[in-house]
Order: sequence, then C-alpha cells, then structure tokens
Amino acid sequence: MTLETVKKLSLLCGTSGHEHAVRAAIISMIDGHCQYHTDALGNLIVFKRGRLRAEKKVMLAAHMDEVGVMVSGFTPDGFIKFTAVGGVDTRVLLGRAVVFENGVRGVVGMTPPHLLSSEERLSMPQAESLYIDIGVRGQEQAKELLTYGDTGVFDSGYIEFGDGKIKCKALDDRAGCAVMVDMICSQLKYDTYFAFTVQEEIGCRGAKTAAYSVEPDYAVVLETTTAADIPEVPEYRRVCALGSGAAVSFMDRLTVYDRRLYDRAFALAEENGIKVQPKSFVAGGNDAGSIHLSRGGVKTLTVNIPCRYLHSASCVVDKNDILSVRELAGALAEDFAGGEADA
Amino acid sequence: MDIVNVLEKLTSAPGTPGAESLGAADAALELLKQYCPDAQVDALGNVTGTTGFSGAQSRILLEAHLDQIGFIVNCVCENGFLKVNSSGRCDARTLAAAEVTIHSGGGLFGVVTSTPPHLSDEEDRKKAKEAEDIYIDTGLTTSQARDMIHPGDRVTLRRAFTRLQGNRVSAAALDNRAGVAAVLGVLGILKEKGIEADIAVAFTVCEETGGQGSVTAAYLSQAKRAIAVDVSFAHAPGIDEYKCGKMGCGVMIGHAAALDGDMSAEMTRLAEKYGIPAQHEVMGRYTGTNADRLSVSRGGIKTSLLSVPLRNMHSAAEIVDTEDILSVSRLMAAYIAEREGKIL
Repeated sequence: MTLETVKKLSLLCGTSGHEHAVRAAIISMIDGHCQYHTDALGNLIVFKRGRLRAEKKVMLAAHMDEVGVMVSGFTPDGFIKFTAVGGVDTRVLLGRAVVFENGVRGVVGMTPPHLLSSEERLSMPQAESLYIDIGVRGQEQAKELLTYGDTGVFDSGYIEFGDGKIKCKALDDRAGCAVMVDMICSQLKYDTYFAFTVQEEIGCRGAKTAAYSVEPDYAVVLETTTAADIPEVPEYRRVCALGSGAAVSFMDRLTVYDRRLYDRAFALAEENGIKVQPKSFVAGGNDAGSIHLSRGGVKTLTVNIPCRYLHSASCVVDKNDILSVRELAGALAEDFAGGEADA
Repeated sequence: MDIVNVLEKLTSAPGTPGAESLGAADAALELLKQYCPDAQVDALGNVTGTTGFSGAQSRILLEAHLDQIGFIVNCVCENGFLKVNSSGRCDARTLAAAEVTIHSGGGLFGVVTSTPPHLSDEEDRKKAKEAEDIYIDTGLTTSQARDMIHPGDRVTLRRAFTRLQGNRVSAAALDNRAGVAAVLGVLGILKEKGIEADIAVAFTVCEETGGQGSVTAAYLSQAKRAIAVDVSFAHAPGIDEYKCGKMGCGVMIGHAAALDGDMSAEMTRLAEKYGIPAQHEVMGRYTGTNADRLSVSRGGIKTSLLSVPLRNMHSAAEIVDTEDILSVSRLMAAYIAEREGKIL
C-alpha cells in the first residue's frame, strides 16, 4: 500500500459528526472497487466482493473522525471560545495552530510567561479559560467568519522524518482508514464488509449502528493506539512501541477481547512473517467496545498502529507498522471469513 | 518587498542566541544591504551597517535584536531522544508534543515528547515541564542520531508562517523579527522621502540570553542617540489591561527611568503631530530590553524604546499586527526627519 492515501486522508478536516470531507475522499478512492452506501449517521458501509463467498461474515472497521475543537462563543474582543471535540489534553492545545472547516486559521493563545508567577509558569490553565485567536479586531468581525458549532482541527502538516517515521494530525485513525482503502482496492479472497465509522472520539457511536446494519460474525477494528515508548515512561507502562509491528489488544477500557482471536492473530503473524506485539497496558477504548456488543454479540479483535502523542497535533507513527497492520488485517479477514477461527 | 513578505523571510530564517548565523543573520544582512552598502556581520555576529550620510546631526543607532528563543542539545540519548537546555525561555506550557527543527546537517524534524493522558495522574496533567525536563523525539535510531546530531546543536520551535485575519500574522520568532522589520521599514521610508541622516543599524545577537550583542554594537556604533525596537505584551484574555498594550493600536512608546525622558516626550509629540497610532508602556526602573544596555554604552547614549505589541510571547504562536510595525517605522522616521529639520 502507498502512504499517499495516509497523507491525503490525514490532512482532511473531519471532527466527530463532521466527517463529510473524509467520507467524500474515501468514496473517490474506492469507487468502482465495491458497493457502498452512507447510513443515517454518516458511516460509510462497504461491501467488497471476493473471489469466494465467505463462510462467516467479516467486517473491518476504522473511524473517520478526529479530535478537534468546536466554536462555543465569542469574547467581546473577538476571541473564539471553544469546546474540545473528543479527548484533547490542555497540555497539547496551548499555542497550537488550528484551522476551521471554512479555512479560517487561528492559534490557541495564552498569557505570556513573563506576566505569570513562577508557579503559574508551569501550571496548565483551566480548559474553560482557553481561546482561539483568529486575528480579528472585535466580536462582530469574528461572527462574520465563524458561528456556533463550527469545527476546527489542528493545523499540522504531514512530514516523513527520522527512521521511517510519519508525523501528522489525525493519523488516529486515518491511517486505519487508509489500510481499509488499500484492502478494498485490491483483490480479496472472500466477500468482506468494511465500515468507515463516525463519532468514535465521542463514544464509539457510529460503530454501534454500523455493526447493527452489517450484522457481522467477526469484526476487526483497525485503530491507532498510544505508544508511550518514550524515555520518561517506565518500560512496563509503554503500551507498545513504534517499529515493533501491529499491536494486538487483549483488553482495553471498553472490551475484553476474545482470547482465541487474540491468539489467532499472533499465530497468523508468525505463519506470515508479520511483525506483531501485544498492546501491553489496559488503556483507551475504541469502536470494538460498541461492535462486540452489537445485537447478540460479535467476535471482535483490535489491531493497532502504535502512535506516539495521540490526540495531539503531532501524531507520530512508523511506516512499517502501518504495513504490518495492513498484512495482518488481510490475513485475519481471510482467516475469519474462511471459518478457520471456528474450527 | 511588502511587510508581510519581509516578516515571512525573517521568521523563516532560524537564529537562536549565539547561532544567529543559522540563517537569521544572512536574511537580515541581505535586506539591510538595500539601505546600507557597508552592511556586515561583526565579531560577535551582530548584523550592522550605516547609511553613510554623515550630516550635521549626530549619529543615531537603530537597534533590534536578531535572535529568537530556542534550545541547545546537551545529550543525544538512546533511541534518538535528545535532552536540551534553554537558549532563552520558551513558554513551557506550549512544549508538549510541539514540533521542532533540529539544526544539524540540513535540519531535522523532531517532536517534543508528551506523556499520554492515561499515564498521567490528575496533578501531572495540570503541570508543564521545564525545557530541561523534556525530551525531543527525532524518530532516529541511537546510532543514526549520534551520527547526525551533536551536543551544542541548536533547536527551534517549528511553525509555518500563517496569515490570520486582516493584517495579523502568526509565526515563531516574531520576537524580535518584527523589530528587525520595523527598523528596515524606517530605512525604506527615509530612502523614499529622500531624507538623509547619519544612521547606524544593529541587529544584535544574544538578547534572549543577556543582551551581549547590544553591548558591543552600541560601543562600535559611536552613536549619540539610540532607539531600541523590541516587542512587548499585547492584551489578550486573562491579562490585566494595565499590564500591556493593545494589538492594532500602534507603536508602544516606552517610558522608564532608564530611558531618555525627552526622547519619550518627543516620540509622544510626533505621534500626535503625524497622526501615528501610538500607546504608552510605562516601566518604573529599567525596561528588560537592550535599551537598558545601549544607554550606558561608552559615555552614555540617549535612548528610547519603541515596541511592537505581540501576543503569545515566547511560543511558536506569536502574533503581531503589521500595521503596528508600520507605526513603529513611521514614528522613527518622523523622529529622524525632524532632527534633520525636515518634515516627514
């Protein structure tokens, strides 16, 4: 698969509930390779014919939405008050550049350290006190450009750096979407469903309806997960590491994964020479939380691309890990669709 | 070149204290040469020049510091992570997951590490780390990093130059490239109006680490008067209005014990006379800028301080209004013109 898709999708603006641009781009990429439709919530549901009919219905899922900001008010001076869409830590907001859907740019402003006490200099301000400065002279001008409910995202470009690393905003989870696009545009052995979901970042809401509609026997969620492989974190809390391959979850805050599926992932990885690692810390949660509880239950697995600085303007992933996830997702989809996991 | 282009050129060229030669010095030198054929880089790295008109009035020094805040690598650690020291104080609260450029070889991209929320307790989440406590992620392996990066290499905050609404722009290093642009601006106005004056220009090094460049530049200039141009605080939510100026309301005229009172008064008079938007910045003792050092050079230099209001100082998200920079340039031009017995 090419990284061009990862780049194109990651640079698009699409906070939870505002995934239109991402969905349109994905449709333009997969059109002609599959059947697809958009459901009431905005999920893009895809059916891809394989060479063979599947024994078991398999759905892969990746979410289209990203964390961002939403305009909630205007100060008399024309500063934009906002609320975070999804989990955005104040620590990664201050001083960041943001761009709204309509192209208006701004920065998250703050009081300069020179005017703070020595204690305040190292204290993050309260989230409610934050504001975005778009460079206007007053409220009237601000309201001509933006209105309540407008959404924005980090203004942060795609950069390849270091030893095969990529930095961009929204790699969570456009990288997962890109893996699915690549699968849809290639030849598959079995008929397979794909769900590009909405509203994951505000509670895995799109996946709930998508799983209901598709009614799969098996689901594989393609996600990014926190890689805390940085010097200030002790080894046992690092969750997973960049460059060590696809990270498979045994448990997170929303799902205790089916142990047989988890073991199957490692077995398939070994058979196919795919780099794989456990997601070794119980943290986070993703669409699997909704999918495995759909209807009477769905056997669900999550395969993650390790990502440093998740939910910041500077998500960092390793190219090779994306490729590992692509290979493992392909192998798992075939395995589950062929009914091997039931044997 | 219009003011926005000048700012983009100047802010895109890196230059931390003592390493202004990374790009900032060349960018400033090239722009200064349009007005000062003798423009050069002096022993400490200051970019200096004179207009070459040794007229009746004594020489005036126009000074703006050239350096920007940044970091200096002190250790290339395992797995391509760097430890750094501050060169000038960055706003520590903006550092988590910030993008940086490591000035090794042709320039490398890096990200400041950030501990994920689920591994931080409530207290940690409220706290920022000092620059000395952060790591920079180069994405390189240990051996790649040690081949390419060395202790002493410089690091700057990385941010694309961004046009906001109206005349406002955001970039890292607007402190004090905005001041450099203001000085270039006054030279442009005087040239256009055909006003000849004996001007020395100094874009000085190391202001953020003590102002060393201004000490030697003032000495060498042999000026009798000086105007220091720097940035100062512009109002934003959460800041007391009496502690700052207002963005878009013009040049901030400095009043302080360490400044020449007559010059401050003259600046005030000229702003009114020429209808130049201006506001006042009052400091009880000294100014915390290079003006404090210029004024005590040799036998003393009558010194004034003019500032450009700026938001988010010492972060990558600094903002200025280009109209304010033009106000600084126009007021300096008026001051110089009137000293030459001319009207701007």
